[in-house]
Amino acid sequence: MDIKKIWIPLLFLILAIFPPFFLSQYWLHVMIISLFYVMMASSWNLIAGYTGQISFAHAAFSGVGAYVSGMLAVNLGVSPWLGILIGSAVAALLGLGLGYLCIRMGGIYLSLTTLGFSEILRIIITNEDKWTRGTMGLQVPGFFTDYSKANCYYLFLVVAVLFLIIIYCLIHSEMGLSFRAVLNDELAASSSGIDTIRVRVLAFTISSAMAGVAGGLYGHYLMLITPDIPTLGQMFLVLAMAVIGGMGSFVGPIVGSFALEILSEYIRIYGEYHVLIFGLVALGVARFAPEGMVGILSRRWRRRNLS
Amino acid sequence: MNGRIIEARGVTKSFGGLTAVRNVDFHLEEGEIVGLIGPNGAGKTTLFNLVSGVYRYDEGTLLFNGISLASLKPFEICRLGIGRTFQIVRPFLKMSCLENILVGMVGKRDKNGSTREKREEARGYLKFVSLESREKVLANDLTLIEKKRLEMARALATQPKVLLLDEVLAGLNPSEILQALELIEVVRTRLKVTIFWIEHVMGAIMKASDRIIVLDQGEKIKEGRPEEIVNDSKVIEAYLGESDA
Repeated sequence: MDIKKIWIPLLFLILAIFPPFFLSQYWLHVMIISLFYVMMASSWNLIAGYTGQISFAHAAFSGVGAYVSGMLAVNLGVSPWLGILIGSAVAALLGLGLGYLCIRMGGIYLSLTTLGFSEILRIIITNEDKWTRGTMGLQVPGFFTDYSKANCYYLFLVVAVLFLIIIYCLIHSEMGLSFRAVLNDELAASSSGIDTIRVRVLAFTISSAMAGVAGGLYGHYLMLITPDIPTLGQMFLVLAMAVIGGMGSFVGPIVGSFALEILSEYIRIYGEYHVLIFGLVALGVARFAPEGMVGILSRRWRRRNLS
Repeated sequence: MNGRIIEARGVTKSFGGLTAVRNVDFHLEEGEIVGLIGPNGAGKTTLFNLVSGVYRYDEGTLLFNGISLASLKPFEICRLGIGRTFQIVRPFLKMSCLENILVGMVGKRDKNGSTREKREEARGYLKFVSLESREKVLANDLTLIEKKRLEMARALATQPKVLLLDEVLAGLNPSEILQALELIEVVRTRLKVTIFWIEHVMGAIMKASDRIIVLDQGEKIKEGRPEEIVNDSKVIEAYLGESDA
């Protein structure tokens, strides 16, 4: 990688160290939630943007991560650190199973099956209140003995950056090449020696595992896990972030996550309608600027450099 | 060493009530160029799709070096050593030329070898089809003939022993056709690839092929050397319809 490419992320990373020193607790919270969405939207982008599988089960997998870790902590006293890893493994296994079952169907059928899976999971979590405490929510321990938003911020930052590094390496590896080949033309990819089913299931599993980690972190940060985590509302927010930011680009979901999360703090007064608004904007973007904000900006940037 | 690299006996494929390929026998000798011709809808592309695993045949046997292709998926058949191009070109449009080639190299290679070596090898394939200057260009921005050459290079990057070419000459002008013919001959002689080739450009395929197989309405109606084919009454009938005389 050339120097110019590594400088920009490095600069952002250095800047990212400072927010806890000057941001209010409230805005620090917004930052932490944004980082959660960076993990969610970037890992969703890995399957949707890079292999073309529109899954609606991503929020559900984050719910799996959160609830597995939460229930382990509450019932067996397992540390959240270990719990998140187990939760992520369970999410990955479920992702592998679900992926194996429905990825051969592809396209819209994959979307519908994952949509169904997501709702089934939410209903189970809501109704099995003996285990999950249903809509009351599961009160879980936090990560640090003395509660500190700054610590949580750094934790989220480290994990989000780790995710981004993993995703970056993946998409720039041979596997990433296979992902994009499958997205471009499945028949041509399989006729060029690529096991398309394996590639897609693999992407699905990796991304589910990441959603599981993100969900677990979110739950233990809020110290309350509710059936709001695996809802479709949450899913569509993640989708809107990836689409508006720029699906299929590395930076897109990152930009989208921060932009929409911060924006949604300002339009909070409209209540839950913000998801609806984001949904409509995402629709418009998908139709008229499929490369998202990042696509529009980089094209303008290139044009300006040309003239 | 000469031998039958592909052997088909009684291969049949139906779609619902329509039998697209009926009881076809053929074989390819190692190192041959075999042309596959026939009027539109004769089942040529279907036969290709059976050999490359896109469809599964209903009856018959299809062997590659003695291995049955019956239950193999396209990617497995590709890895065995059968590469193909498509009638309507299908390069990976949103990927650069070099990346297109690299995809072809993914499936088969041992995972060792540095990225640099792989890129260097991929450049070799681009150079082979005279696209070395287009390395970073998106496949979408290529002209038709460049796309066809790219697709062929991608197929070659999978290191095939047999290459299925589906109308690679369609849409090319006479001088481009000459270039393509030269390229195909080099593929045969230098890379030792056996070529099975569907073509409608009769002059070219007759000149280039060692042997021609003619399909009509899913059945093989004639097989032989090009000069035997052009004078065969059944073949002429298939193309031009029955004569009144």
